[in-house]
Amino acid sequence: MNEILFYIGAIMIVIGGICDLFGALGLLKFPNFYIRLHAATVGTIGGAVVPLFGVGFLALGSDFLPNKYAIAGASFVTGVIVLLAAPAGAHALAYAAHKAKLVTWEPKVDHLAEVREND
Amino acid sequence: MRKLIPLAIILITIFALAYYITPKITPQTQVRPLGEFYLENSYFGDYSAKSPEVVTSILWDYRGVDTLFETSVFFLAIIGSLTLFRLNKKQEKEAKQKTEEFSGGLTLVIKSVTKIIVAMILAVSASIALHGHLTPGGGFQGGSALAVAPLLIIAAYSKYALEESGLDKTRALILRSIGLLGIALVALVPLLNDGFIMQNQPVFPAELGGQLVGGSLIYYNFFEFLAVGAGFTAVFLLLAIPESVFKKFLRRVENE
Repeated sequence: MNEILFYIGAIMIVIGGICDLFGALGLLKFPNFYIRLHAATVGTIGGAVVPLFGVGFLALGSDFLPNKYAIAGASFVTGVIVLLAAPAGAHALAYAAHKAKLVTWEPKVDHLAEVREND
Repeated sequence: MRKLIPLAIILITIFALAYYITPKITPQTQVRPLGEFYLENSYFGDYSAKSPEVVTSILWDYRGVDTLFETSVFFLAIIGSLTLFRLNKKQEKEAKQKTEEFSGGLTLVIKSVTKIIVAMILAVSASIALHGHLTPGGGFQGGSALAVAPLLIIAAYSKYALEESGLDKTRALILRSIGLLGIALVALVPLLNDGFIMQNQPVFPAELGGQLVGGSLIYYNFFEFLAVGAGFTAVFLLLAIPESVFKKFLRRVENE
């Protein structure tokens, strides 16, 4: 049981590293603000929340760590907080950018603008 | 290419320092006598500050006057920024009126998440400040964390929401003054008891109901928490006045 938890945690940390790499690449290479925001959110959810949960599982599964429950609890709580805050932050950025009409882009569909015009 | 040259110089300097100079500095193997004194006395010893956290003992007891002046420097900075943005009573009332383009803050998603996060920030900041005599942290750190909560509300709802629920600039300044006054009064109490200023005297109970409260340290931490949080909140409220409104004030002053 402990070994399974340990390996799940280690795999999640590796996934987090890969997500961070792709997020950074996307942030540099994607064409406009909204798509870059998607890359940034891949970096925060995939690259911060997933490895935080991974650290929690890894700490639970390792016998050699002192205070392993404290480490696991702290990383789970931090993970949940980031999981709550990061999408809200990305949403706020996208909403503000759309409202200020600062980004030049050619969308195929812009539902928010349609809703605005109907108001 | 030209950008790379300074980078290379910086890197080479860092590596040179790390490889040639660091081994020549003999590492400290023993605790110095002064450090030993603090470690032994901060909780047990004859000069006890009633706190197992040596940093807090030094900050608010052994070197308390130093911290008092640091706090006063911070408050001079706050007062300075409040003076730069000073408004008279009429202007203040006008700044509280909602502008025409105000549409009620950000979306429902952000508002709901902000509610949860603000509650968490309040709990964490209070814990940082009130456990200052047990764990790293203390009044200033807790107060800085507390100030994030009104900042988030200003960003997600608006400064008007904060003012309507009763936390306007005047209230924040009153809270800040209560904090400052509390620090000053607690600092003066040991003088009545034949002690030195800011000394942790037995007048303050070291334990309450079996819990270690660290004598006067917890009062200092609490008042500093209040003062720093409220001081930052006052500045944030001033900074959140819309630019158009503030420019209107400035133009009116110019015309007069």
